Amino acid sequence: MGTARIVFDRWDGRYAQRMRDVRSSATRDLFAAASRPDIISFAGGMPEISLVPADAVVSAATEAVREFGAEALQYGSSEGRPQLREIIVELMAEIGVRTKRDDIVVTAGAQQALDLLAKIFLDPGDVIITEGPTYLGALQAFSAYQPRVICVPMDEQGMDTDALATELAALGPCGAKFIYTIPNFQNPGGVTMSAERRRRLLELARTYDIPVIEDDPYGRLRFEGGHMRPLRALDDDVIYLGTFSKIFAPGLRLGWVTAPPPILGKVLLAKQAADLCGSAYAQITAERYFAGTRWRRVLQDLTRTYGERRDAMLEALKEHFPAEAEWTVPEGGFFVWVRMPTFLDVKALLPEAIERGVTYVAGDAFFPDGRTGRNCMRLAFCYAEPDAIREGIRRLAEVLEDRLELYRAFQAAGALPDAMVAKGVSA
Amino acid sequence: MKEKIAVLMGGRSLEREVSLRSGQRVADALTERGYRVLSLDVTAELVSTLRSERPDAAYIALHGKYGEDGTIQEVLEFLGIPYTGPGVVASALAWDKAVSKRLFREHGIPTPEWVTFTADAFKEMGAATALDLVPDAVGGFPVVVKPAEQGSALGLTRVDVPEGLAEALLGALSFGPAAIVERWIDGAEIAVSVLDLGDGPQVLPPVEMVAKSGLFDFSAMYTPGETDYYVPARLTPEVEAEVRRLAEQVHVLLGCRHVSRVDMVVSADGTPYVLECNTSPGMTETSLLPMAAEAVGVGFQELVEKLARAALDGLE
Repeated sequence: MGTARIVFDRWDGRYAQRMRDVRSSATRDLFAAASRPDIISFAGGMPEISLVPADAVVSAATEAVREFGAEALQYGSSEGRPQLREIIVELMAEIGVRTKRDDIVVTAGAQQALDLLAKIFLDPGDVIITEGPTYLGALQAFSAYQPRVICVPMDEQGMDTDALATELAALGPCGAKFIYTIPNFQNPGGVTMSAERRRRLLELARTYDIPVIEDDPYGRLRFEGGHMRPLRALDDDVIYLGTFSKIFAPGLRLGWVTAPPPILGKVLLAKQAADLCGSAYAQITAERYFAGTRWRRVLQDLTRTYGERRDAMLEALKEHFPAEAEWTVPEGGFFVWVRMPTFLDVKALLPEAIERGVTYVAGDAFFPDGRTGRNCMRLAFCYAEPDAIREGIRRLAEVLEDRLELYRAFQAAGALPDAMVAKGVSA
Repeated sequence: MKEKIAVLMGGRSLEREVSLRSGQRVADALTERGYRVLSLDVTAELVSTLRSERPDAAYIALHGKYGEDGTIQEVLEFLGIPYTGPGVVASALAWDKAVSKRLFREHGIPTPEWVTFTADAFKEMGAATALDLVPDAVGGFPVVVKPAEQGSALGLTRVDVPEGLAEALLGALSFGPAAIVERWIDGAEIAVSVLDLGDGPQVLPPVEMVAKSGLFDFSAMYTPGETDYYVPARLTPEVEAEVRRLAEQVHVLLGCRHVSRVDMVVSADGTPYVLECNTSPGMTETSLLPMAAEAVGVGFQELVEKLARAALDGLE
């Protein structure tokens, strides 16, 4: 039987300063307090792993042990197995990036690469630039190194490079340690950086001599529109992060970083200190899985499925969501970003949404100040089935509708200043 | 081994984190004092856990909705488990500032001028067309807009100009069904705690808070270093006597038992105004009740044990 018992951290008060700003998300806590099976979750960006055929994984994993046993269970090289890095070279070539085996270090998911990069670049108080909103896990990884994060707003074309130029002009040459961007189907914004903006971003980065980190977990999950060349394809100095989590399985914890040799050398040192080497067993399993061609069909299935779910969400949003809401239309990836009028505190509505059996992540989680974005929410369409998505959006619309009725009453009375509904992806 | 006490904390309220901090300190204190402690979150399993564990009493370290509004008190009454703090009626009265402020006024307790708006009044009756009457009703700007229900100053905004009123009201109404627009009183913010453990109310020394940001909001309240505290508050003996008298009057008027904390502001000319009464005062490291108790030589553990004993021994 369940119990309401809780257990405390008796070591509280003895942790390092750097952990002070690394917060668990309040949303997650709130949700954990209310984990009910009937809740439709738009909160987590979890891949639909059931589409990865179990038999293919079983044979890959079996081969790893049976044919490579000694290697699979032994320590491996810190940079990752050469065979897997060859596969990564091919994957990169398919998206237009020419690279070599020696330009790659395999990491425990791209998440580890974020931590390692922050570790090698950041001293407390250093400035970094990200999109605002940006990936929560990146903010979390960076925050342990206590940087000052400057957020550049986005619109439908991705990061606003004019705003970036203004920030950079104020900071001056080498004024930031790096610029972190997710150009494809941004998390949480859902937007993709245009070709023009990509060129401009690289130009600015060159002018001000600031490294660019391109995080590209979703790039191959495109439902429509043409392929966009990665930043790394346009500039060899770009630090590129890739992952097997979305094209195979996050459970293997496999990602990689491609960077100019000196930076990669530092990453490798940090990687050695962090965990000596990644799991050879996981790497061989991936090698075997990617040895055939079946993974391509699986990736097509995944992409088609996510595409259907996105369609279901967009249709449901159109049908149920109030006129005051605005949302992005992602051409791929996992997320839709919804903006409500600025007064509406989406976070304050979360307990009520959970009450009605639906959950999301309130926008403030994606800003380092924890305040901006409270009128926004990230909706993940990747994990729920289309029917559940439609029902979840309907429930969510009810919660919002309740508040908006009030807003409209104010509007009807002419009691609202005009400026209360602004445009754009940002908060 | 002493009695078994369930410390109730957490819950699904927006003040969850604060409650967990209060609850953990309370649980630690009771454990130190030799009680068998059961730390319980408010989940769907709470009632069944309480039934199977059969604690001798419950210590309510919950803040906000369900913990302070009479809901949990009603449940504990029904289960026959004695609990700390005011009962159902006092909790419900104190929780709703729209009600408690009316009671204050009817009984001659000074409270800043205010108006209450419910979301329904806007939605069903077009109350937004009457916002122009607000300045006259409360005596001009600046005003404070806040949810009528809610503890920790969530959703609280100071508004200096009429144009800001609508947005502040919409914000406050995100937190609950009613909001209060209250005249802003410039002055010292003080909190006066009352202990009432069987032999009549004992008023503790007033604590004065000075928020470095100028507004004693959620972040100022719970971030160490963002607020300066003075215990006792820097008041003249006459004013101090008056705020102590008012705190006791509020405590008795609302029918509180065991403990309450009355928040006031004392204007520059020395006039105290009662803002609200809290029936589940915070017990974190920056909380006001423990500070006030400390000032009369009652340490945190002793304070917690006294309150737990009040419940265990059935003191009204």
